[in-house]
Amino acid sequence: MTFDVVESADRMLTVAVSGELDITNVDTLGSAVAPAIEREPSRLIIDAHELRFADSSAIALWVQWATEVPEIELRDAAPLLRRVVESMGLTEILNVTP
Amino acid sequence: MTETGPVSGAIPEQASETEGEPRGGSRPRDSSRYWVAAAVLVVGLLVTGVLVWISASTYTNTENRLLRLRVSDAGALIAERLPVVQTPLASAAALADATDGDVGKFESFIAPSVGPPGRGQFVSVSLWRLGVGQPRLLAVVGVTPALAASPARAASFFASAAHSRQLSVTGLMPSKPPRLGYAFTSPGLTGRYVAYAESALPANRQSRFQSTSSFTDLDYALYLGPTQNGANLLVTNVKKLPITGRHASVSIAFGDRTFTFVVTPRRPLAGSFAERLPWIVAVVGLLLSLGAAAFTARLIARRNEAQELAGSLEQIADENRRLYAEQRSIAQTLQQALLPEALPKIRGVETGARYETGVKGVEIGGDWYDLIALDDHRLLLVVGDVSGRGLRAASTMASLRFAIHAYAAQDDPPEAILSKLSNLVNVNTSGQLATVLCAVVDVEAHRLTVTSAGHLPPLLVSDGSGTFVRSAVGVPIGVRAGARYTSTSVEMPKAATLIAFTDGLVERRGESIDAGLERLQRAASSNHVTLDELLGRLIEDLRSEGGDDDTAIAALRWLD
Repeated sequence: MTFDVVESADRMLTVAVSGELDITNVDTLGSAVAPAIEREPSRLIIDAHELRFADSSAIALWVQWATEVPEIELRDAAPLLRRVVESMGLTEILNVTP
Repeated sequence: MTETGPVSGAIPEQASETEGEPRGGSRPRDSSRYWVAAAVLVVGLLVTGVLVWISASTYTNTENRLLRLRVSDAGALIAERLPVVQTPLASAAALADATDGDVGKFESFIAPSVGPPGRGQFVSVSLWRLGVGQPRLLAVVGVTPALAASPARAASFFASAAHSRQLSVTGLMPSKPPRLGYAFTSPGLTGRYVAYAESALPANRQSRFQSTSSFTDLDYALYLGPTQNGANLLVTNVKKLPITGRHASVSIAFGDRTFTFVVTPRRPLAGSFAERLPWIVAVVGLLLSLGAAAFTARLIARRNEAQELAGSLEQIADENRRLYAEQRSIAQTLQQALLPEALPKIRGVETGARYETGVKGVEIGGDWYDLIALDDHRLLLVVGDVSGRGLRAASTMASLRFAIHAYAAQDDPPEAILSKLSNLVNVNTSGQLATVLCAVVDVEAHRLTVTSAGHLPPLLVSDGSGTFVRSAVGVPIGVRAGARYTSTSVEMPKAATLIAFTDGLVERRGESIDAGLERLQRAASSNHVTLDELLGRLIEDLRSEGGDDDTAIAALRWLD
């Protein structure tokens, strides 16, 4: 799992995650992004187009982010991942976009 | 319900006994391997000793051989002096014989051979006539002969010289410096004439070889007579006699006497390298032996270290395996303790449940199942899954499970139960979400009410075909407090089987969850077996090889 955190001038926070995100590495991502979330971005985009797998603890982290920022977007998630998010009733919470 | 995996209370049994024993047993054997290094040292020293002995004896043999060559060379040179001494005397004697003792002719003939010590060949040459009575001195060239001072000695010497056909040599003459006398007697045509010469020995009989001589590497001593008799020393270049140590001698015939020539080398004749070679061999051999022994010892030490390291790594691995088994056993024990001890019995239905730990299950998981009898004909079937693993997930799971019991006891409908549960977990504070499925089964009315908080739908199997009971899916517990849930009711066919499960049963990495659901649908539909067997097969067939997620299943079947 690798990730990039980009904070842009218009208080938009983009977190691009690639590889497999699961319970073994989700805390790494959580602590890396926490400072950026504390700076209160207006919008958080999770760029998932290179993410192959995310388990329930990863989804829990995103839901946590969703409660902490005014607006969130799970962008470019693979169909498999979108289906998991959907099965958990989280499509709207995470604002899944193609 | 059944347990899977060993559940044991006797875990820390061999914690202490595995420590010292294997190490304590192997240590002395390890250090005794240093005898190999000692053996290398001994062999090296033996080889060195043999080489030293060979080079030393080669050196000795070479030196002795060279010394013998040198002494015989020197002896030959001395022997060559014989004609130099004998010829002028023989000629003078013959001249005297031919001229009947003509003194003038004798003197003029022999004068070139006479001079002071160091200049001429002789210090004194005299002509004597032998006859009846004492020998008579006819003429002297040079100093007075020492022999003349002792007529008796002269008589006996000339008497023996007269019978000799060769050069006669006297003993040492006691003069200063001592002299050595030579006599040659004419054949005796006109009378018996003797030409007699004396030469002076060097002062203190010390004389060095000339620096250009090829014998400067030798010390020597020349004696009159066949032995190293100090009284008969003629000349030497050493202070201390007789010569001892490595030496060689040769006897040289000189007239009627014998000279003994003794030499000893001043320095190694074969060169100083040959002399030092045994020492060089000894030092180099010793160093090489010590080096080889040290190297061997180091290799052995390394090997011992490696073995010890391997041993301790093995111990660590053993310990890890034991700890792993222990932790896994604890996790399973705890998990079982947090799951229902017994399933409720309701007339007309059969119930079953399974809990399967993932292969990597050293940590307790957050999955659970529950079956609660609401009254004598209604059953609440619950499966849930708290995200994450470990004690935090398990304790959240336990609190949710027991809260459901409490809310169910208050006769709360499932949507209210889930809504209340959403107050118990907050993803912001705990980082946890929980998906929960509540299914209320009215056994008599054949009615099923499903409420889902982000959970996968249950499977309903009847007449050999399975369908998932789709309902409105609410958000998982933990997303927000006071979340609202909607229940969906369906009619249940007779002789149906209801299976609720957690995602470990159907989820595989890199595969759509729908594929897993279809697999479950097929597997559950094609089985005409008891409920217990069915659950066993589902677990066995569906869990992906090396499935790393826990799985909980709760099921119910109407009895015909």
